[in-house]
Amino acid sequence: MSSRQLAMVIDLNKCIGCQTCTLACKSQWTDRDGREFMYWNHVESKPGKGYPRDWENAGGGWESGAGAAGSGGDKLKPGRLPRLEEDYGIPADFNYDAALFQEGEQPLRPMQPMQWGPNWEEDQGAGEFPNGYFFYLPRLCNHCTKPACLAACPRQAISKREEDGIVLIDPSRCRGYRYCVAACPYKKIYFNPLAGRSEKCIFCYPRVEKGIPQACAYQCVGRARHVSWLDDKAGAAWRLVHEWKVALPLHPEHGTQPNVYYVPPLSTATFDAEGKPTGTPRIPADYLVSLFGPGVQAALDTLRREIARKEKGEASELMDLLIAYRHGDMFRLDRLGSQP
Amino acid sequence: MERRAFLKGTTYCGLALAFGGPLMPLPAFAREGGKVSRGDTPRAWEDFYRKEFLATRGDAQGFAFHCSNCQGNCAWRVFAKDGRVTREEQAAAYPQINPAIPDANPRGCNKGIVHSKQTYQADRVLFPLKRMGRRGEGKWRRVTWQEAVDDIAARVVDTLQKNGLASLLLHCGTGILSQGRRAGPLRLGSLLGAQRLYPASAVGDMFTGASLAYGIATIGHSLDAWFTAKTIVLWGVNAAVTRIPDAHYLNEARYNGARIWCVTPEYNATAKLATDWVPVKPGTDSFLAMSLLHVLFRDQLIDEAFVREQTDLPFLLRLDTGELLRHRDLRDKGKDDVFYCRDEATNSVQPMPGTQGHFKKSLRLGKLKPALAGRWQVKGRDGNPIEVTTVFERARAEAAKFPPSMTREQTGVHPDLVERMARDLAKAEIAIVNIGFSMHKYVSGTMTCWAAALACALTAHAGERGGLDTENNWSLGGIGPLSGPKPARFASGFFSEWENGDMAATMRRHYPDAHLKSALGFDAAGLAALGAQFRKTSNAYFGKPRVALLFADNLLQRNKSEAHYRKAFVESLDLLVNVNHRMDTTALWSDYVLPAKSQYESWDLRGELGYHRFCNITVPPKGLKAIGEAKSEWEICLALAEAISREAKKRGIERIPDPDFLVQSGDKAGPVMRELANLPAEFTDNGALKNDEDVVRWLMKNVPAIAPWTPEDAMKHGFVTVNREAGFNSPLYANRPFHSFENNVYLRQPYPTLSGRQQFYVDHPVYLKTGCPTPTALPPLRPASFPFAFWTPHARHGIHSQWRTNTWLLRLQRGEPHIWLNPLDARGKGIGEGDAVRVFNDVGEFFARAKPMPAVPPGAVVMDHAWEPYQFRHKLGLNNAVAGLISPFELVDGWGHLKFNPNWDGNMLAFESAVDVEKA
Repeated sequence: MSSRQLAMVIDLNKCIGCQTCTLACKSQWTDRDGREFMYWNHVESKPGKGYPRDWENAGGGWESGAGAAGSGGDKLKPGRLPRLEEDYGIPADFNYDAALFQEGEQPLRPMQPMQWGPNWEEDQGAGEFPNGYFFYLPRLCNHCTKPACLAACPRQAISKREEDGIVLIDPSRCRGYRYCVAACPYKKIYFNPLAGRSEKCIFCYPRVEKGIPQACAYQCVGRARHVSWLDDKAGAAWRLVHEWKVALPLHPEHGTQPNVYYVPPLSTATFDAEGKPTGTPRIPADYLVSLFGPGVQAALDTLRREIARKEKGEASELMDLLIAYRHGDMFRLDRLGSQP
Repeated sequence: MERRAFLKGTTYCGLALAFGGPLMPLPAFAREGGKVSRGDTPRAWEDFYRKEFLATRGDAQGFAFHCSNCQGNCAWRVFAKDGRVTREEQAAAYPQINPAIPDANPRGCNKGIVHSKQTYQADRVLFPLKRMGRRGEGKWRRVTWQEAVDDIAARVVDTLQKNGLASLLLHCGTGILSQGRRAGPLRLGSLLGAQRLYPASAVGDMFTGASLAYGIATIGHSLDAWFTAKTIVLWGVNAAVTRIPDAHYLNEARYNGARIWCVTPEYNATAKLATDWVPVKPGTDSFLAMSLLHVLFRDQLIDEAFVREQTDLPFLLRLDTGELLRHRDLRDKGKDDVFYCRDEATNSVQPMPGTQGHFKKSLRLGKLKPALAGRWQVKGRDGNPIEVTTVFERARAEAAKFPPSMTREQTGVHPDLVERMARDLAKAEIAIVNIGFSMHKYVSGTMTCWAAALACALTAHAGERGGLDTENNWSLGGIGPLSGPKPARFASGFFSEWENGDMAATMRRHYPDAHLKSALGFDAAGLAALGAQFRKTSNAYFGKPRVALLFADNLLQRNKSEAHYRKAFVESLDLLVNVNHRMDTTALWSDYVLPAKSQYESWDLRGELGYHRFCNITVPPKGLKAIGEAKSEWEICLALAEAISREAKKRGIERIPDPDFLVQSGDKAGPVMRELANLPAEFTDNGALKNDEDVVRWLMKNVPAIAPWTPEDAMKHGFVTVNREAGFNSPLYANRPFHSFENNVYLRQPYPTLSGRQQFYVDHPVYLKTGCPTPTALPPLRPASFPFAFWTPHARHGIHSQWRTNTWLLRLQRGEPHIWLNPLDARGKGIGEGDAVRVFNDVGEFFARAKPMPAVPPGAVVMDHAWEPYQFRHKLGLNNAVAGLISPFELVDGWGHLKFNPNWDGNMLAFESAVDVEKA
């Protein structure tokens, strides 16, 4: 545990899947130096195999970590290293010159065949028409309170910063053994083949230290991301996670105690055989439980109850918080935020 | 190491060996979880990323927006280092206009954010290129600017001399929508008297249903109004994908208790955020609209006071001819544009004030109490009685034919949904009905939109109570002297494309005559006759160009029956010049490609877009290095003007008189003079407007809606706020969202329609003949000859073809075009995930890959639009399997407010073709 923790809440109802966050991160950090294939932040459509492909079945995390609030054990689970072409996807270049400035019918194509990518299953989801469903799941390093990557590193290159809980890999110590990659149950650490070491989301600490929120959060056009100190009772993270309990960690069963939280997605009703709405949300409840744990039902109930208040013209503090009237108010990075 | 060098060849693939495989944790190193490692040791290594961050922040900063074909208009900061753009980030500095409404930050999207990459991408045109081989063959020679403009000027002057002024098409497409960069081509074209197409019509973005009702095509709200609405209907608009900067207002409105109805055949990103999804069968929206009207009429969910005053529903119409009762029906030499109601106060027929021909220019009814329903007799001018009823009766009778229980068969929508939607619309204090650009891609779209307008009228949703939204635009004013100093030849957008591309041929091939006749009331010959009539009655300019100078218009990508259109258009031209920052499909087929600057490189200004109230500015970062030999559009136009002047002088031509346009001088009228020798001085206003910066400064000084701001104000945060004058049918208040029609609803100013009101009866012979004088339903026109409906909603990863070929965005897709198929259809055709497929019909074919999508209804091939044709096999794109088609409703001209102008022009109908698909 660090003495303080900077946390992020991503509202999946406000995410529109536009990928602006993905590209904000890319141009801020991963468009160079062997990171081209990496997406420290990406958005995948759920349900699906996700990115890297099948990450949810690639191991990692803590053994016997299925307890409440993810209070995992102390033994790391084995994990699988994703493959470059099949699981991450090659950062393809395109034959602009041949297709556009040379003779012939050669179409514009990736110069290396693309097999997968960070958004490969865009809007696919699951179900059958007209009851198909999908939603967007933005993912980045969870800057876990109990990081499996940190524990797995044989070089002690990974640390969790005392002052803000940001988990970092020391590039001068890392030797690229990739135990961290396998240990992360979210597969959010990437091996940089050019530098010969591992890298991952740094929670934009160089920005945060200057009072500029993370690129993915600040540039989120859907205004889906809140950032605040987890112990700041006026901050969105504390209020949504602890006070309203509508923001939940992803796959808490891995026991790493993530510090990125999600407001789970509402959905329109399914249709019965006659085409009449049933009143049952089209995203199956058990699927959401599998992602966000058993608290998801109560969270959705709370959201629906508070929306109903607004429908009736009543006040709702929760809804006002999620609406976020001022973009700037979604980020409380000030270190003077109230202590518990 | 250079990225390109690093990735080249097999290097990266070789590195793939370093990936993959299972890995057991090393127990010896598995330390206690959560232990803070080395937290107290010096962490100098952290500077590694701090330095990177500072490098992306650069040493110079500018501002920009990315309005290539986009209506977003978002202020960005642009960072540069050593003269090269490093990164962009939203300015996110727009002020909140009201504490109860979320602010507009951080406007932007996935396209804008990759423009730093696009700027230097390898499809960038760096130097003037001249075609060497056959058109489209791909043989180019780099030439100097001098060589290029001299040759182009010679051929322009040649055609002006030999073929007349009208033979030149100088068109600025929707690839540039900003006032700054558009000004150059518009001004040059206007000085030369060149043809120009009305752009919204050329691209198929006219809202003719709104034009019928209001006399204005684009009306609506600033999109922060969504947050205040209690019912929002998103009809054929995938806002989560096409209104990315504003979509947050929808989610926030939902949290604020709004019902959000999304009407679309496929479950898309907007259906995902809605409270209610209406899975209407493709092309049947007009039946849904009529069933909504049915419920509103049936349950009398009608605001009678509003309807009496603000609409033509109380107008009398003749039961014998179906025409509106006019002054001329009652009096010899009576007026054509005075109309009547049955006054309940006096039990007599009275003229309605506020119509185009009435002396009272106000909607105020005074003591009149117009009846809505009834049948009466009035005495005609020949003394014989005329049976009359009201438009209200006629509209109600039409809606009565479409109970939700019956329209269900066409639409597939359960009646419960329709009933609830109608009630949500009626009961909401503020309801907004957004009509998307998809709607008028169907023949029935005009009717659907018109019916939706009627639904808003019945429920009194106008002004502050919301209403229809076809995209609000501001009225900036004051730009005329810059962009239109002399009259230009305005050509109808859709009809010029129709004729230039010989599109009737593919229509005839795809739609059997009997089918057209039964569905539309006109067969191919009938439509051709309407077209001939349209040419006669319309004041649009008609005629094929011989020389085309195209700025930012990718018409060879955009137009339907692609290969056919291209052949017809390109072969009829003596010269095709493309001014472009990137090699698009149209550039590939051009004779010259001239390198233009892109979003970050020239000064620019944009303020007309009414989604928000901010006028953004582009100021390049200081010290930005030139990219190849790119010039701004203004500089290119000036270079052309100078070359034309040189050429004209060489040939001894001072000027060419243009008798098509007269200019008054004292009590004499003479032809407008097209000054060739003096063109550069005219273009620069005698040296005052030398470059793009001069243009932006001129605009900020002369456009009243931008007052009192200066370029220096705009350069503080990348934008200024437009003032109250920007709203043309309502004031723009400083602290409230904008709503159209406040001047009409509260001040009772007439609407710019024949009736002076929201108009729901059009007695033009075409409308009477087709049985559509008032909103009604029409089936989809798609022929039965091929089993799949084919439609192409707007793409998430492009603004039309702009950014469609961007490396970073293609990596977020699958690198090449994919069609979307229902998984059951795919299985039935033996098509699996990622398989190559051929999509075809009797118009043409294209090849793509398949992506099975549960979101897509059975019987449909859906594809996000505007892939460049050169992204497909044989460089033939998705439009190759789309037949040409135009609508009889949009070929009407010379009736009331239906006269060619920016508010009345038609569309190329893109979504009515049928296709088949097979594994390739």
